[in-house]
Amino acid sequence: MIEVKNLNKDYGNLSVLKDINVNIEKGEVVVIIGPSGAGKSTFLRCLNLLETPTSGEIIFEGKNVTKKGTDINKIREKMGMVFQQFNLFPNMKVMDNITLAPIKVKGQDENSAKETAHRLLKKIGLEDKSDAYPNQLSGGQKQRIAIARALAMSPDVMLFDEPTSALDPEMVGEVLNVMKELAGEGMTMVVVTHEMGFAREVGSRILFMDDGKIVEEGKPKDIFSNPKNPRTKDFLSKVLSNDF
Amino acid sequence: MNFDFLPKYYMLFLDGTKYTILIAVFAVLFGILLGILFSLMRLSKVKVLNCIATVYIEFVRGTPLLVQLYIIYFGLPKLGINFPEIEAFGSSFPDVMAGIIAMSLNSGAYVAEIIRSGIQSVDKGQMEAARSLGMGSSMAMRYVVLPQAIRNILPALGNEFVTIIKDSSITSVIGIHELMYNADTVRGNTFRPFEPLIIAALIYFVLTFTVSSLLHKFERRLSLSDRG
Repeated sequence: MIEVKNLNKDYGNLSVLKDINVNIEKGEVVVIIGPSGAGKSTFLRCLNLLETPTSGEIIFEGKNVTKKGTDINKIREKMGMVFQQFNLFPNMKVMDNITLAPIKVKGQDENSAKETAHRLLKKIGLEDKSDAYPNQLSGGQKQRIAIARALAMSPDVMLFDEPTSALDPEMVGEVLNVMKELAGEGMTMVVVTHEMGFAREVGSRILFMDDGKIVEEGKPKDIFSNPKNPRTKDFLSKVLSNDF
Repeated sequence: MNFDFLPKYYMLFLDGTKYTILIAVFAVLFGILLGILFSLMRLSKVKVLNCIATVYIEFVRGTPLLVQLYIIYFGLPKLGINFPEIEAFGSSFPDVMAGIIAMSLNSGAYVAEIIRSGIQSVDKGQMEAARSLGMGSSMAMRYVVLPQAIRNILPALGNEFVTIIKDSSITSVIGIHELMYNADTVRGNTFRPFEPLIIAALIYFVLTFTVSSLLHKFERRLSLSDRG
């Protein structure tokens, strides 16, 4: 579904992504873990061209995303994205946050867009918040709304950029549960996260990134119980020992 | 203090106020249009447009309005641009046009900077979120960024309106019969140096205070709707 070939990203002299090659299949939940500064978020943001790759190719559903002349807006419609800082539109009610893009981009009529929004709000357990403004919501609620907003475009894949990193600890669970449910429904997901529990339980494949490279990849149980690369071992032993 | 001259001369103050308002309204209007244009040029990725806008804005901000006014007033006829006299207009139409053009060109530069900083003050994540949903950049600008920028812009824009009303008094030097000019006329006719200026100051204050209160009300309405 997403094919990444020889992806490189430089900022001036700094090389952030070095020759990344990945294939993401339909229905997979790919979880990207690794230390800060490893290039995880940059990689994710390259997939929908929020960052422009320096070189390499990204093929999404047969279309070359990186080729000049590709209508990136059409591709982004099919790639939902959830941000660390939620990025809800603060001047709009929850309902308008969710229906804006379906109405303006897809040309849906208002009623059917609202119907979809209600269904999604129900699914994330926030049906009573449709008339609220984002700053009346908790962080966890905001992030669930942001997920619903992305889902309203009925994307084929969802990209999550550290969706729980800006949340109070008590709110992490509610967001992860929504994501887990989504994975259970067969949504293709690419998740950058520091939540190792989620990675182990929900991930179908783990990518461990360090220093701009994918150092190791494999099934969660292999990576977590039997990491091969010393960097992976080191990282996991530090991260997992934090669970006192 | 002696305001005995008022019954005889009040019409001069009212007439002058009319011209002050006329110049200010048009300067604000064209200033906003020019400001939008120049701010988009400043934010544009096309180097030439960006450069033109930057030079223009820096020039206007770095030279006195009085000089700009004279340049327009004496420069337009030199360029062969002559506005016809219009009898019904009362005060000299070419002079008023020069005044409005100079004020608009001046205001446009300031408004451009206000708009640019307003747009840039909106969190980058807003544009990214809108783009990630498949919106093109102009659509994202229109529906997501600009509505938020306008809220940030309003207070500074209000200040600019007030500044225009006050600075329009400078156009008296090219002979437009606006409030300041007419107050001077009354001063000369009555040999009272002080009182006509008090009247003019009061009228300016009423104008600026009305504008800023209206804008405050508008701002408050916007921020209320933001909180629901």
